[in-house]
Amino acid sequence: MTFYTNRRQLMATALSLTGLGSARADDATVIQGKRPMILHNDRPEDLETPVEYYNSWLTPNDVFFVRQHIPRPRVNRDTFALTVNGRVSKELHLGLADLEKLPSYTVPATLECTGNGRGFFRPRVPGIQWMRGAVGNAEWSGPRLSDVLKAAGADLNSPFVEVNGADEGVARTPDFIRSFPMRKALHPATLLALRMNGVSLPDIHGGPMRLIVPGWDGTSWVKWVVRITPSAGPNTGFFMNPGYRFPKYPLPPGTPASPSELEVIEGMPVKSTITYPADEAKLSSAPITIRGFAWAGEEKVERVEVSTDGGARWSDARLTQPSLPFAWRLWSMEWTPPGRGYYTVLSRASDSAGRAQPFVPVWNPSGYLYNAVDRIGVTVEGS
Amino acid sequence: MRTVIVFVAAYVIAFAAASGDEATIERAKSEESFACVQCHSLRIVHSQRLSKTAWTKEVDKMIGWGAPVRDRQLLIDYLSEEFSDAKPMPEPDRSKDGTKRSSIISDPAKAPALKD
Repeated sequence: MTFYTNRRQLMATALSLTGLGSARADDATVIQGKRPMILHNDRPEDLETPVEYYNSWLTPNDVFFVRQHIPRPRVNRDTFALTVNGRVSKELHLGLADLEKLPSYTVPATLECTGNGRGFFRPRVPGIQWMRGAVGNAEWSGPRLSDVLKAAGADLNSPFVEVNGADEGVARTPDFIRSFPMRKALHPATLLALRMNGVSLPDIHGGPMRLIVPGWDGTSWVKWVVRITPSAGPNTGFFMNPGYRFPKYPLPPGTPASPSELEVIEGMPVKSTITYPADEAKLSSAPITIRGFAWAGEEKVERVEVSTDGGARWSDARLTQPSLPFAWRLWSMEWTPPGRGYYTVLSRASDSAGRAQPFVPVWNPSGYLYNAVDRIGVTVEGS
Repeated sequence: MRTVIVFVAAYVIAFAAASGDEATIERAKSEESFACVQCHSLRIVHSQRLSKTAWTKEVDKMIGWGAPVRDRQLLIDYLSEEFSDAKPMPEPDRSKDGTKRSSIISDPAKAPALKD
C-alpha cells in the first residue's frame, strides 16, 4: 500500500504530535500552477475559485477549481495506457500517441462540483463547505468516448460503461470508479479530454486524460482515466452507492434518507451566480454593472432576471455569449443605486426545459445540487 | 471491580473533554493528527461545523476506511466540542500564488512515496 506524503507534511505531523505545531496547516501553502485560491484542503487539493476571478467566458486553468477525493496518482505520460475491456470483441491498450490519432473534438462545457454551494445549506451538512466557486467553464478537447468504444468492438447494447481513474485511495479508502448509462457514453459530446483550454490537460485536473460528461455533475468527470469497461450493470462501489446520490423526493431539512429514497445524480439543474459586486461589498452611488454567469446542465440558459430590492421587482439581465447546451452564459445588468442604503441583489435563471431556480434550495443529507436563487447584499455609502 | 474502574475512567475522560481540560485537549489533538493526517490535511476537518451525531458518523466512516483511531470517544468528544455546529465558520485561507517561477513546488506527483 502506498501512502503519499512529503517532508513538509511529515514535519507538520511530527510537530502536531509533539504539541509544538499549530493544528492548522502552515499558512504559506502554494499550489503549483494556481493563483491564490480559497483553500478548503491542501492535501489532497480542494481549491475554490474566488468570485473576483470570474470575468471571462472560459475560466483560465490557473484559477479553475479543484476537487480531489484522494491524493493525486502519479501518471507517467510516456508509459500511460488506457485499457478497454469487458464486453468488447478485442481488448485494447492505448497509449497517448494512439489516442492522439483518433479524431479530436472540442466541447465548451461547464464543470461543477456536485457539492458546489454546500456551505449555503441549513442545517449544515458534512463535506467541503463550497460557496460559489466550485464551478468553471472550459473548452475540452480529445477523442469521443464512443470512438474508443467502437475501436474495441464494444457491445453497444451493454446497458452501462464503467470508467476507472488511476486514483486508488489511501488505506481502505475506496477506489474511484463511476459508471454511466450507454446512451450518455455514446453522446457525441462525451469526450476523453487530452486538452483543457487549448493546452495539455494539467495533472491537477486529471491529466493526461479525463472524462468529459457535459451537463452532468463533476463526480462523473473521472480524472486520470485508465480503464473503460462496457458492463451489464452499474458499478456498485462507494462512489456510486451510497456516494453521490440525491433524494428521489424532497425530505424535511435535517432528516436522514434511507438507501431506497436515494438515486444516482445525472444531469444538473439550472443555476445562476452573481460574481460582481462581491457579497457585502461597499459601493459609491456611481452606476455599476452587476454581472455573473448562468448554466443549466444539459439544457440551454434562456433567461436571467435580477432584482436589486430583495425580489420586489425584477429586470431581465443581458445574456451574452452563444446559447449552448452544457456551457454557461455570462449575464450583466447596468444599475445605478437610487441612494444610500443596503441593497439585496438576487439573480434567477431559467432554461430551455422550462426549469427555473427555486427560492428555497432542496435540502439533502449530502448537500448536493444547491441551486437556489443567488443572493448578495451591498451597502451604498453615497457619492 | 475492573469493570467499575473502566467505567469510572471513561466517565472521567468524557467529563474532562466536556469541560475543556487542557491535557485532554492536547491528547485529543495528538489523536486527531495520528488518525487523520496520514491521508489528508486537517483543514478539511476544521472547516466543518457539525452536530455530535454527524461527527460520530464521520469518525466511524473514517475508521471503516482505515483511519488508525485509538481512542474513538476522545476524538468524537473533541471534534463535537471544538467544531460544533453552534460555532461560527471561519473564513478559509487562500493559497499563495503558485504561478510564479520562484514558487515552492508542492506537487504531490513529485513528492517521494513511502511504502507501507
